[in-house]
Amino acid sequence: MNIIEIKNLSFSYREDVPALHHVNFTIKKGEWVSILGHNGSGKSTLTKLIIGLLKADEGEIYVDNVLLNEETVHEIRRKIGIVFQNPDNQFVGVTVEDDIAFGMENLNFERDEMLNRITEYSKKVEMFEYLKKEPHLLSGGQKQRVAIAGILAMDTDIIIFDEATAMLDPKGRESIMKYIRDLYHEGKTIITITHDMKEAVNSDKIIILKDGEVLEIGETNTVLNNKEVLNKSNLELLLPLKLLYKLDEAKIENKKVKEILWQLSLNK
Amino acid sequence: MAIKFEQVNFLYPSFDNDHFSALTDINLDISEKGEFITLIGETGSGKSTLVQHMNALLRPTTGNVTIYGIKIEKNSNKDKKIKLNPLRQKVGLVFQFPEYQLFEETVLKDIIFGPKNFGVKEEEAIARAKEVIQHVGLSEEYLERSPFNLSGGEKKRVSIAGILAMEPDILVLDEPTSGLDPKGRDALLELFTNIHKELNKTVIIITHDMNIVYKYASRVLVMHQSRLVFDGTPNQLFMKENIAKWNLDLPDIIEITNQLEQKLKLKFDTLPHNVDQLFELMKGVL
Amino acid sequence: MKNIIIGQYIPGTSFLYKMDPRSKIIALGILMVTAFIFKDISHILYMLAGVLIILKIGGIPIVRIARGLKPIMILLLFTFTFQVLFIKTGAVMLDTALTLTTYNLGIMIIIILLWYFLRKYIKSKLLFMVVIILVILTMLSMYTPGTIISSSNLTIYEDGLLGASFIMVRLVIIVTLSTILTLTTKPTDLNLGLEKILKPLNLVKINAEEIALIISIALRYIPTLLDEANKIMLAQASRGVDFSEGKLKDKVMQIISLLVPMFIISFKRSDDLANAMEARSFIPGKERTRIHVLSWQRNDTAVIVFCLVVLVSTIVLGFVA
Repeated sequence: MNIIEIKNLSFSYREDVPALHHVNFTIKKGEWVSILGHNGSGKSTLTKLIIGLLKADEGEIYVDNVLLNEETVHEIRRKIGIVFQNPDNQFVGVTVEDDIAFGMENLNFERDEMLNRITEYSKKVEMFEYLKKEPHLLSGGQKQRVAIAGILAMDTDIIIFDEATAMLDPKGRESIMKYIRDLYHEGKTIITITHDMKEAVNSDKIIILKDGEVLEIGETNTVLNNKEVLNKSNLELLLPLKLLYKLDEAKIENKKVKEILWQLSLNK
Repeated sequence: MAIKFEQVNFLYPSFDNDHFSALTDINLDISEKGEFITLIGETGSGKSTLVQHMNALLRPTTGNVTIYGIKIEKNSNKDKKIKLNPLRQKVGLVFQFPEYQLFEETVLKDIIFGPKNFGVKEEEAIARAKEVIQHVGLSEEYLERSPFNLSGGEKKRVSIAGILAMEPDILVLDEPTSGLDPKGRDALLELFTNIHKELNKTVIIITHDMNIVYKYASRVLVMHQSRLVFDGTPNQLFMKENIAKWNLDLPDIIEITNQLEQKLKLKFDTLPHNVDQLFELMKGVL
Repeated sequence: MKNIIIGQYIPGTSFLYKMDPRSKIIALGILMVTAFIFKDISHILYMLAGVLIILKIGGIPIVRIARGLKPIMILLLFTFTFQVLFIKTGAVMLDTALTLTTYNLGIMIIIILLWYFLRKYIKSKLLFMVVIILVILTMLSMYTPGTIISSSNLTIYEDGLLGASFIMVRLVIIVTLSTILTLTTKPTDLNLGLEKILKPLNLVKINAEEIALIISIALRYIPTLLDEANKIMLAQASRGVDFSEGKLKDKVMQIISLLVPMFIISFKRSDDLANAMEARSFIPGKERTRIHVLSWQRNDTAVIVFCLVVLVSTIVLGFVA
């Protein structure tokens, strides 16, 4: 079933500059979709539109079959959790514990329930020992994990990672990607928004945005094989893929090597 | 020897801070000419602390750093005879986040801010700005714009331009390509290579990107837990050392080559430096 | 930053730490009012003794309070001097002529120069300055050879001394009490306590909960802001800004080069944070449940009752005297 439907979505910050133009796509429940695009392709605007922080000029957004409008915006926000790009600018609480509690406090959870969930989900992201720590003592990756815990505590099934690894060092990036994979295997619907193809290779579906429009939508394997589209997208190709394309160009037909290169693309 | 570290130890005056980057027993020589150095190491290993000693922003707790003949020790800032400020024109340091630096109404004013602080006359500074803005890949029309209305990548380039306009002898950059898309990244690295080759200046880059290290560096410094654990060439680093012990990754090209060798059960003659070289090697065996 | 102890929490275990922040705030309020009701110096000295006893029972070293008084030392001295010099009633305690002559002018200049050069090496600079001033005054009253340049009288009256001492003691009591509060109460607890106490303000459309949330977000970002300020200064220093020296014009530029980036970063942060909060279903004005709760114990009631007794006794004593 479709958990998110974007129909004919358009939005401009200023009159002459369309950030998004007639964007259409759907996301099924339990899918992991990567939205790829260069900086300025419009992907950052998408998240804000989906939860009603911005109002679209044109088009419709359906979340769990509910049309997004002024009356339903709060209901829809309860269904979607977002991990934003800047770990410092989304951490509200004075301590880790307070931050995980923030969303639940907004939703009027009972105190005992909140304390239980804080324990459970902080353990899940391996931040239990840090509950009383203040954010300035944490690394970027740790702060993002706290954000994940806070989202899980609200029982949201759809999680959007909006360039959540962009400001992290390689170690931090790896740890967040691991949590994303785990959450996907547990059945959550995951949307990762990124400009790094390495983060998209394990997702089910890839949507490529370019200059505010959808360049390509398709299953990951199919899109990764589509050399023309990838070249047009302005995204950096994965090394094994580059080799694969070179072999194709030189008309070298070694199946074993191609298979190995393909597997290498997916593993990274 | 432009910069010399002798038995440098550094401890941050602590507020009970867990992020306690320090320096332990650092001995290091950096010459003014001809080096393209990459400084790598995991977060917290002391890289930023190290480079902040290179332009006397920080002073060692014990030991000394000699920069262009001026010996700097713990209390050198209190010594009236030692002028630390001029050193910052000679060793230009670009910080990782342009937001910490951009503050003027226009890009032009921001770029000439540095040179003017070091005594460059306004007309000369403006002329430098016009030149330098193009070096970083932006057109002159950017000079009239507000630095706050630029994209992340553009801000980055303006901040680099601001230091280049000071015409430093040594250029130190903290993660200059983070946040840039591949095209922007390559353009900037081209620029730094040019500065290095054509003007024969030393360029030092802090980075997490092993691919940059492998492709551009002639010398690699590795920091691990406040110590300098490696000082040599990239080839020496990647071929000989088990860099996993320092929590570092291999450059993609070497990683792929290793994987191919493993899975195809063969060994290539040489270690490729880029995709094309690897492709040639592969053609050879297929 | 290290000296300003008002506002700095130091962990501890005495009864002061176990009290509900609300009762501490209310107790502080009551005791402050009490301090202002006293009119007699001997009475207020009793209160000072009481405060010292609270410090002892509460396990707070006097040294810490002394450090906390340092910032207002100048105010204390100024007030004292002002009162001593300008109250001219009561018995005369001291009456000397201060004469400035050609010879002791020279000596005064030497003493001033001594002060200027030696002060770098002296730890308690304020005390040193006070001693130097007293030395100069003593000299001006005792050593007067040479031609007289000018002369005046220094007269100190009993009421002046008493009045000055009274005000000083009262100031010390008030600052000490506030310091006890901030020493023994975490800023977040203080915030929560204030929020609960100010809840009735909802009736006049002032939302105490929202204000408390704003304060807690501000508290959360203070270390981050300090860190960023430091990094900005380093980045600007790398472009030739010398924060340690410069004329007024330069100082203005230095401050701008620090403040503008801080503001820009803060604006972006506010925008991002507001989005993140709304994404987590935050609705301004809506009731929120909380993980932190305050629990009022018997001790808290006891303390409030005690303070009220003190207040009432003081008022009664005031009428009786």
